[in-house]
Amino acid sequence: MGQYLPIFALLVLAALFAAISFVASRLLNPPRPTPAKVSPYECGIVDQTEPPERFPVRFFLIAMIFIVFDIEIIFFYPFTLVYAELGGFGLVAIAIFSAAVFESFLYLISNGALDWGPAKRLRRSRLASMPARTTRSTIRRVGTEGREVPAGEAA
Amino acid sequence: MDPLLSGGIGLSEILIVLLKVVVAFAGLMVGVMAMVWFERKLVADMQNRIGPNRAGPFGILQTLADGIKLFFKEDLQPERSDPFVFKLAPYLALVPAFLVFTVIPIAGNFSDGQDGVVTLFGHETLMQVADPQMGILFVLAMSSVAVYGVMLAGWSSGSKYPLLGSVRASAQMVSYEAALGLSVATVLLFAGTLSTNGIVASQAGWRWNIWMTLLVPFVVFVIAATAELNRPPFDLVEAEQELVGGFHTEYSSIRFALFFLAEFMNTVTMSAVIVTLFLGGPSGPIPSGAPGWVQDFLLPLIYFFAKLLVFLFVFVWFRATLPRFRYDQLMDLGWKFLIPLALGWFLILTAIKVARDQGWNPVVAGAVAALAVVVGGLLLRSSIRAAEDKDFDAVDPADLDGAGA
Repeated sequence: MGQYLPIFALLVLAALFAAISFVASRLLNPPRPTPAKVSPYECGIVDQTEPPERFPVRFFLIAMIFIVFDIEIIFFYPFTLVYAELGGFGLVAIAIFSAAVFESFLYLISNGALDWGPAKRLRRSRLASMPARTTRSTIRRVGTEGREVPAGEAA
Repeated sequence: MDPLLSGGIGLSEILIVLLKVVVAFAGLMVGVMAMVWFERKLVADMQNRIGPNRAGPFGILQTLADGIKLFFKEDLQPERSDPFVFKLAPYLALVPAFLVFTVIPIAGNFSDGQDGVVTLFGHETLMQVADPQMGILFVLAMSSVAVYGVMLAGWSSGSKYPLLGSVRASAQMVSYEAALGLSVATVLLFAGTLSTNGIVASQAGWRWNIWMTLLVPFVVFVIAATAELNRPPFDLVEAEQELVGGFHTEYSSIRFALFFLAEFMNTVTMSAVIVTLFLGGPSGPIPSGAPGWVQDFLLPLIYFFAKLLVFLFVFVWFRATLPRFRYDQLMDLGWKFLIPLALGWFLILTAIKVARDQGWNPVVAGAVAALAVVVGGLLLRSSIRAAEDKDFDAVDPADLDGAGA
């Protein structure tokens, strides 16, 4: 483990540097928070929900597909070090292994697991096929109680 | 393996280790300061501006001035943030950035079959902070840890823009890490060792991996490294026009400075990794008649820094020249082009290498492998077409809530 001693030393030094500069900044300018300063960066009204609640499921898919490839790479590294001893057997084995991983990769791609962005073809708005849905039938008007309703606008 | 630490470790060994660590630390800090200045000045030149020119000669102390300014800024913690993770994230970004540099050989004589061992204060050692056996795996491991810094920073801020930035960043870094790892595998095929010192030694005598691996893994690695660093044209993580500042929007003062430092340090170390893997690190022509210190230190250092500077220039050049990718383009490039290309190239080179070892005809073996890879590429193309033809988002009108009401 002696080979890792310098790495550990630099780890300690880097962490110390970060900690000391943090303390120095605290001493030089202690935080004086106000409600406006500590509110989240937002253009307009602050959101009522917590942001980490949900994000697109595609990101989870990417993480899972990455694990498949990471495992493939992890098997490649030892192979690169011993391929000379393995000879033809190793070549066939790595070809079969790569084909197996690549095949699952093709399955993912053909099912659109790695497609991003808007759908390729723009679909017609469904409103066009539903004449019953108009702004009058879909928008709820509030605050009209006891007021004169203009002719022709009765819901 | 560093001969310094192979035997018993006494006081003199520990002092040399400490000296190396402190020099590496100071060198990295100065290097980052110089890199920030270099980038700002060069981008300014490319955009026909002057750039920083007030602090020090040619504005070279601009970064120092900025750093001191950030010390005096107020360090705020947003009310919705997760206190512990919010404070932890800058450390998780900065510390791996420092550690990657430990395995980079920066000097030592690698000509005529020498293994770069130099003598420092009467002890034999290598001109790199550490040389663990799994050197290049350590680089990949640290770049994986850096993803946590970015991810946790955005997640713990309790704000919309940092979250979006960090989710994008982690998906991007993870995607390109696969391409990065596959192109490194090709280099390992030629080096036969994971140790960075061994990789450099295997490239001595102009057997640089950039042409030994026939250029393609190098190109894949440079593109993947640019994406891994979140540098333009892959800087969707902090796309100012849409995400304010990306994952560090809510960070101020010294915590922001630590992220900034980590970002530029990663640029410098990633350039050094490229030089180590593909351009033979500090190796180059060394006249045999020269004195020892010229052979061991001066010339290799000059070669290393000259090569390093090329890549630092290239990264700045990318930034000044290329417009930003769209997110789907970024993902398509990574998954549907770079990863299959790197994988196919690895298999072709493996077939050629094994054929040479076994006494088969390498041309035939390479051609057969290339044919298999082309078939794979055609299959990939038809898979992409198949995905485009499907309409996954199509909804049956009968399922629409309140349809026809």
